[in-house]
Amino acid sequence: MIAVLALLAGVLLGLWLDPTVPSALQPYLPIAVVAALDAVFGGVRAKLDRIFDDKQFVVSFISNVLVAALIVYLGDQLGVGGQLSTGVVVVLGVRIFGNVAAIRRHLFRA
Amino acid sequence: MSDEQGEGRRGGRGFSPDFLTELFRSPLDPGYADAALRRAERGQPGRAGWSVGPVSVAVVVLLGFLFAVAYRQTMAEEPGRAQARSGLVAQIQQREDETDELSTRADALREEVNRQREAALGGSHAARLRNLEASTGLGKVRGDGVVVRLADAPSGQQPLSGANVGPSQVLYSDLQGVANDLWGAGAEAIAINGQRLTATSTIRNAGQAILVDFRPVTGPYEVSAIGPGAMRKRYEGSRSALTMRKVAQDTGLSFEVREADDLTLPAAPEPQLRYAQPAVSASPSGADELSGSGSSPSPSGGGR
Repeated sequence: MIAVLALLAGVLLGLWLDPTVPSALQPYLPIAVVAALDAVFGGVRAKLDRIFDDKQFVVSFISNVLVAALIVYLGDQLGVGGQLSTGVVVVLGVRIFGNVAAIRRHLFRA
Repeated sequence: MSDEQGEGRRGGRGFSPDFLTELFRSPLDPGYADAALRRAERGQPGRAGWSVGPVSVAVVVLLGFLFAVAYRQTMAEEPGRAQARSGLVAQIQQREDETDELSTRADALREEVNRQREAALGGSHAARLRNLEASTGLGKVRGDGVVVRLADAPSGQQPLSGANVGPSQVLYSDLQGVANDLWGAGAEAIAINGQRLTATSTIRNAGQAILVDFRPVTGPYEVSAIGPGAMRKRYEGSRSALTMRKVAQDTGLSFEVREADDLTLPAAPEPQLRYAQPAVSASPSGADELSGSGSSPSPSGGGR
């Protein structure tokens, strides 16, 4: 419950502050969102599995976002940014799908 | 696939030989299982219910913030793109309107010049000039002739047969062929969608567009030609007509030839001659010959 409220608070904060993203960081925003989603669904699933761990959640969130951004940055420098972002999205997408499927099984027993 | 898999993976941590298989089988970060195991070894109970630690709450706030920022960013980018596009479209339309206006003005001025010239020259010279202009495409002409209409096949109506029948759009070469065969059939003046063809006219394509004298024309294409009464029959037997009939049958584009009475073809814009200099010869015989051929725009006239 607290987590949901915190998420809402974050969303409202973001909408209220409406910060301008520096243009250098703009390409990494979508990838960061996907990486964050992966961390979130991982956390929710761990919660349902009763193995949630605060430290693990925080570390996985930050490292996911950073590593995803780093890979895209490297790809951009090497001229394969598009392909590498596709790779990142595929890997994270697979993980999100798997975790959501596990969450679904937990919640609906199906 | 939850706990027991976490247990099963415990033995061989690190990267499994088949990373993708592993990824599909157990998407959860293995760190959670490890942390749970460590806690169990130390005898701490896992957190119950939905409560999370303050650090996690901070991260979740950050997460919502991230989502909101990303959303804002995407929404802010969208109108920019749409604006740029509609701005360009508006610019194109405005320029086209300007061009139309200017060409209308040029036509009016040309008429004015003609009138003044006729008043200044008077008589036979003016008539000769008019005839020359009509035959070279620089003057407006009227007469009976044929109209060849070509149109792309309606999109979505692709030929079902797997045979390679070629594109179902009208190509610039089709228009070239039609114009050439109309000349061959005796046409004395031809215009494509109101663009009069002259000796220096070009029919080319640039990307998807067909340009006649560097002005884009869009389908349906109407090639109007003024010529002798037998022109239609002669054109129907020509190569481009036969080819286009077959193409129309195969691909579904439309092609029709009809006779039209009292066509009016506009004047072509004056060509800019940069290299060719008029070689003036004052010989009266040549002048008579020119005026003779020019002054007979009778439908049964030249081109044979």
